[in-house]
Amino acid sequence: MIKATNVVKQYGNLKALDNFSIEIPAGKVGILGPNGAGKSTFVKIALGLLTATSGEITVLGETLTKNTTEIRRKIGYMPEHDCIPNEMTGVEFLIEMGMVSGMSLSGATERTHEILGHLRMGEEKYRLIGEYSGGMRQKIKLAQGLIHAPEVVFLDEPTSGLDPNARREMLETINGLTDVSNTKVLLSTHILQDVEMVCDSVIIVKDGKLQMQKDVKAIVGEKSNFVQVRIGGKSEDFISELKKKKINVENDGRVLVIPYVDDSTYDYIIEASVKSKCSLYEMERTSQSMDSVYQEIIE
Amino acid sequence: MKGKAQLSDRFRDFDANLTTRPWIVLGMGLRKFNSLLTLKTWNGIGIWLMIAVVYLLTFFRFILFIEPEDYPCVDLNDEYQRCIPLDFYGDLLGNAGGTKLFLIAIAATASGGIIGNDMANKSIHLYLSRPISRLDYLIARFIPVFALLLLVTALPNYMILSSMWSGNGLETSWLLDRKWLIINIMLQGVLYSATYSIIGLTFSTLIKKEGIASSTFFLFVYGTSLICETFFTILNAFDIDEADYVLLLSINHLIDMVSYMIFDTKYYVIAFFTPWEVDIGTLELFAVFTFIFAGCCAFMYWMIQQMESNK
Repeated sequence: MIKATNVVKQYGNLKALDNFSIEIPAGKVGILGPNGAGKSTFVKIALGLLTATSGEITVLGETLTKNTTEIRRKIGYMPEHDCIPNEMTGVEFLIEMGMVSGMSLSGATERTHEILGHLRMGEEKYRLIGEYSGGMRQKIKLAQGLIHAPEVVFLDEPTSGLDPNARREMLETINGLTDVSNTKVLLSTHILQDVEMVCDSVIIVKDGKLQMQKDVKAIVGEKSNFVQVRIGGKSEDFISELKKKKINVENDGRVLVIPYVDDSTYDYIIEASVKSKCSLYEMERTSQSMDSVYQEIIE
Repeated sequence: MKGKAQLSDRFRDFDANLTTRPWIVLGMGLRKFNSLLTLKTWNGIGIWLMIAVVYLLTFFRFILFIEPEDYPCVDLNDEYQRCIPLDFYGDLLGNAGGTKLFLIAIAATASGGIIGNDMANKSIHLYLSRPISRLDYLIARFIPVFALLLLVTALPNYMILSSMWSGNGLETSWLLDRKWLIINIMLQGVLYSATYSIIGLTFSTLIKKEGIASSTFFLFVYGTSLICETFFTILNAFDIDEADYVLLLSINHLIDMVSYMIFDTKYYVIAFFTPWEVDIGTLELFAVFTFIFAGCCAFMYWMIQQMESNK
């Protein structure tokens, strides 16, 4: 979907992107990182709104430097900040955005009503945007990104400023609309749960550098395949007992993390604690999510 | 269920059939032009009222009281001519009695929020994420103001021309002898409309608040005109040769000079009800004009670029 090679974006002395290279596969991809990591900069460069200081980037197989504006026919963009005019109605605004994308009046009108139907907006679509709630404004922002039936939509912090209910509804809407329209997604966010809920794969960025790129299911799967153990006594003896069974143990100082293979793992742990004369205080399958992966990388 | 599936299929298989960039830009321009003339806003009502005043002035000041034999120009003396298409752009209170005050007021009202509002509500980011460049966006925002101003510059002048042609018995030979006039009126209309549009849009981009941008543009154009005329008169009173160059700092005088040049007529300025001869070389005139025009365009482009990078 997107291929970046040694992309650098410099603002004065600050490097927003530092030799950033990545190949983002088609599908729903989350770009995750703390504030100021370079996520929005990358999205804007991929959209052709910003020019990279150096490096090359191709989107949907086309080089950005050559087709900066034309490539946007295939891309939809939902910016992070509030950027919709209050003095227009939802319908007027979406039709205008459709026509600015190059659609005919009839095409834009038809699509507007279809999208707003999917967004479950009834009569309120004829109200001024200035009267909309935060959630409705976000929906309109999402709709304008999908109005021209793009191949891929870039979503920059789509749940920013929403309460938990509105956030969940927004994510469900993103999933629903992109699934039904078969649109690829690049979701930039600093909220892990957003990525878990929407994306197939995730990219973690920090200080303008790529830290990790992985399948979301694989991360969640990997981490849930551990057993977290807390023992009393000599942990070295306990660990060596498990090593005899060819089980590697990770000691993070507070707890021992043991890879879960099947239910016999529990038996090995109990056996090891008996043989090493360690008291077994706690043993449970970890329910760690991407949160821990993210924290590990960021810290 | 079947209905839902069909709806989803239609949504997924939707063909947006997108048009080309020039059509997108033209469409944006025309829709904005339409919105400028809407009677749903106070601005729209104001613009319509001012357009009405310009047409009333055109009718009562020019069409009704100009003799066909005095059109387009009459010799005032051996050196100077008085041309109706030039008088049209004169000051209301000046000897010529033209429509400039209203043209500038219309330009100020129309251009004040045209880019500034997009920047203030940040919708400019959405426009620029579409398949158009920054330059396309600027052209799309230039078109409505320019087209509106053409309605009160070139069009009334063509109405005067038509009236004079009618006064001369609608003879084709009369019109064919004045082909140059048809072109000059258009050039003049484009000159005034384009210059005021560009400067108006620059103020809109710089200030980002519609009302303030409009009034600042109006005061700037008229203010510099009055200040330059005052300095020009004082310097002339002291017989300083370079006094004429002061007028280059005034947008109004600068456009008037180019406009007189289009009509191949010697320029004179009426400052404080007194006519003064002005002699500025073509090169200097065009250099300053190009500098202002290009400077405004470059500034707007830069402002938009900065806004994008700073979000």
